[in-house]
Amino acid sequence: MPAYLVIQLARFGDLVQTKRLLLSLLGETEAEVHLCLDESLVALARLLYPTVHLHPVCAHGTVLAKLPPAEQARVLLERNVTAFRELAGIRFSRVYNLNFSPLNYRLAALFDPQSVRGHVWQNGQEIVGQWSRLAMRWSAMRRIGLNIADFWAWHHASPVPATEVNPVAKGKGGGLGVVMAGRESRRSLPPKVLAALVTALLDIRGDDALVLLGSKAELQAARQLERELPGRHARVLKNLCGATGWGSLVDVVGGLDLVLTPDTGTMHLAAHLGIPVLATFLSSAWCFETGPYGLGHQVLQANIECAPCLESQPCTAQVACLQPFMDTDIVRYLSTLDANHLPSGVTVFNSDTDKLGQTFTAKAGPDPQSELRGRFRDFLSEHLSAGQGEPSQMLNELAERLYMERDWMVPDAESSSGRFSGISSSIIT
Amino acid sequence: MVLPLYGGSLPIGRYCTAALRQLGHLVEVFEAPDFYPSYKALHGLKVGTDRLQYLENSYLQVVSQSVLAKAETFEPDLVLAQAQAPLTIQALKRLKRDGITTAMWFVEDFRLFTYWKGFAPYYDVFAVIQRDEIFKELQAIGVGNALYLPLAAQPEVHKPLELSAAEIRKFGSDVSFMGAGYANRRVAFRDLIRHDFKLWGTEWEGDSVLEPYVQMAGARVSSEDCVKIFNATKVNINLHSSVQAKELVTGGDFINPRTFEIAACRAFQLVDRRILMPEAFADDELATFGSMEELQDKIAHYLAHPDERAAIAARGQERVLREHTYCARMRTLLDFVGERVPGWPKQRASLQAVEGLPPELAQDISALLDRLALPASTSFEDLVWAIRQQQGRLGELETAVLFLDEWRKLYARKTGQDG
Repeated sequence: MPAYLVIQLARFGDLVQTKRLLLSLLGETEAEVHLCLDESLVALARLLYPTVHLHPVCAHGTVLAKLPPAEQARVLLERNVTAFRELAGIRFSRVYNLNFSPLNYRLAALFDPQSVRGHVWQNGQEIVGQWSRLAMRWSAMRRIGLNIADFWAWHHASPVPATEVNPVAKGKGGGLGVVMAGRESRRSLPPKVLAALVTALLDIRGDDALVLLGSKAELQAARQLERELPGRHARVLKNLCGATGWGSLVDVVGGLDLVLTPDTGTMHLAAHLGIPVLATFLSSAWCFETGPYGLGHQVLQANIECAPCLESQPCTAQVACLQPFMDTDIVRYLSTLDANHLPSGVTVFNSDTDKLGQTFTAKAGPDPQSELRGRFRDFLSEHLSAGQGEPSQMLNELAERLYMERDWMVPDAESSSGRFSGISSSIIT
Repeated sequence: MVLPLYGGSLPIGRYCTAALRQLGHLVEVFEAPDFYPSYKALHGLKVGTDRLQYLENSYLQVVSQSVLAKAETFEPDLVLAQAQAPLTIQALKRLKRDGITTAMWFVEDFRLFTYWKGFAPYYDVFAVIQRDEIFKELQAIGVGNALYLPLAAQPEVHKPLELSAAEIRKFGSDVSFMGAGYANRRVAFRDLIRHDFKLWGTEWEGDSVLEPYVQMAGARVSSEDCVKIFNATKVNINLHSSVQAKELVTGGDFINPRTFEIAACRAFQLVDRRILMPEAFADDELATFGSMEELQDKIAHYLAHPDERAAIAARGQERVLREHTYCARMRTLLDFVGERVPGWPKQRASLQAVEGLPPELAQDISALLDRLALPASTSFEDLVWAIRQQQGRLGELETAVLFLDEWRKLYARKTGQDG
């Protein structure tokens, strides 16, 4: 019976986006699938992946960082030594170490480097596998992108089809859910801007229920939004910011008609539950990288020249990507769905799937990278043996740009052939 | 520790590493010899010399960059380079810019290996095995921190052995020499063949008189076998090398490592007198000669007086163990660096590895320190590096310590909680 371990030490949204890989592993005959994750996400993981064996470790820092150093050391060592001992005692056929983080590299020290994919620790040296190296190269062309859920899933030789990951989205009658994200984040719409969109959606759709979702940190923004809404909508508003545990969040989101959200964990949860998402992607958010997974979702994607940017770097353009969301025409577009009314600087994308996984098709607004993205997906499909693309000059140029000498000069378990057989030359067979 | 790609200073670099560890320091070694086969492979290309030189230089740049990368990650208090270490001047400048103190122990004859003039000014400390003249020359090119640091022995390696009868037969003789076939030795040793004589080491080819006495077909002798030869020989000849054969006993200045190594084995040697010898050994701690005639007389004398041999060897060993070990040399070097380099070593805000932990965890960490041969006072940072030097899969505690270290870098430092 093969045992697989997936190490996913990142946050809420990343945990949900690990689904395609986990489903692919669970689909193997008699496979036992284990997931190592931060202890704060165990309750959620139980709901998302009830048949997966969970291995919580203490990885996140929010609470612990406030403790004195010796106390931090005690907590981290006490909890993690026990968890690591348990992990080291299981003979995993393969370990998928997903996050490019020093914590993941160190955790990989527990395992035979040959069995680890992604981020490997070998005799004190951090090593990045070829698939991840390739991703680093294409991330220089962010607008073409590959959904992170698919990137992780393609560590597997033949992941489950994208259409089988999440149910086709369909409203459940519980009204509109609005996800309030962190106020500091450039990715989120300020309450005033959000209020205009919420008002329009409620008026257009005739929803008689409005639920605000978020953590305690978003309470103030939620109150501000409430103040900005017309009385008729404020009266039906239910503010659940900071009031939901994982179980109740799943229950609430699972009953909604539509979720209006920036790029958040709750957005991925809604997609997981098959609840339609209307996402606002601006600043560093790019739907081809982290858009809602599955069919039936829509993204309002800022497309000004500097998007997508890096959230960690200061914005020198006065957050110009927010402008289209402040334009009253966006409300007009939502009311009429007439592309002529869509303000410039934004594209409306409908979620879609293809042989590689999740993708998006422009419904209104420009998508100048569409052709290049198509060829890029052909290139990746060929690389992954997921299907041949039409021969083209652009495909050849992508191969030249994205492959590096090291990819074929030295053996690599993640190379296009190595990922199937662990060998570096097809002539041997 | 930056080892050389190859050569005589390589074992010395390894002895220094062991000594520094014995002194309780955490040492990360740059294993330059691992890079040497690739360098040599370039010579099999059969290309034009300009192309070959370009490739050689490019490769050495890569090697030097590797040293920098290691230094950047390890953040050492000192980069200690052995003679011939693959550190380019560009790399030395970079280390200086990054505030990393550098030292070279130049264990070569400065008159023969003149290239030191090119790079010595780029080191913070330059240690040499000679005095006077080299000090003046170093001063002239701007090297203020020059240190006289004679060679030494490593008592864990160079020690008295109980040899089997077979080993005594193989390695023993009345008189022997272990070393390379330099010009002065080739002439001098012709007079020794009248004894029960064995010649060990390399570069003795083409000498019809001596060739029959060369052991193991002139193959390189391992450090372990050298020690056996020293132990099994009644009179070890130790004639310092010279590239000329006009003057066989040159009376030069530096003392070769063999002098200290044979003495540390409590073996007997007849060594040619050197200018710097009196401060290293008293007359009754070492049997010396100043000419070939004197050597012949003394061989005859000491072969006939085993008790005198034993007494001198015992006193010589005592002196080496007291003063001339690599541990002593490294202590001297570090003291010198501390005196000459202002603010060295930089104080680091560090927790002791076991500090503040509950008893059970502290006990586990203490046991881990024991396993890694680290003192109880080891800092958390040093423990992390010692774990990182381990090969293969790590245990849960080692992994948890590495994980904690990275966790602190990610979270604790951001919130100013770092200890």
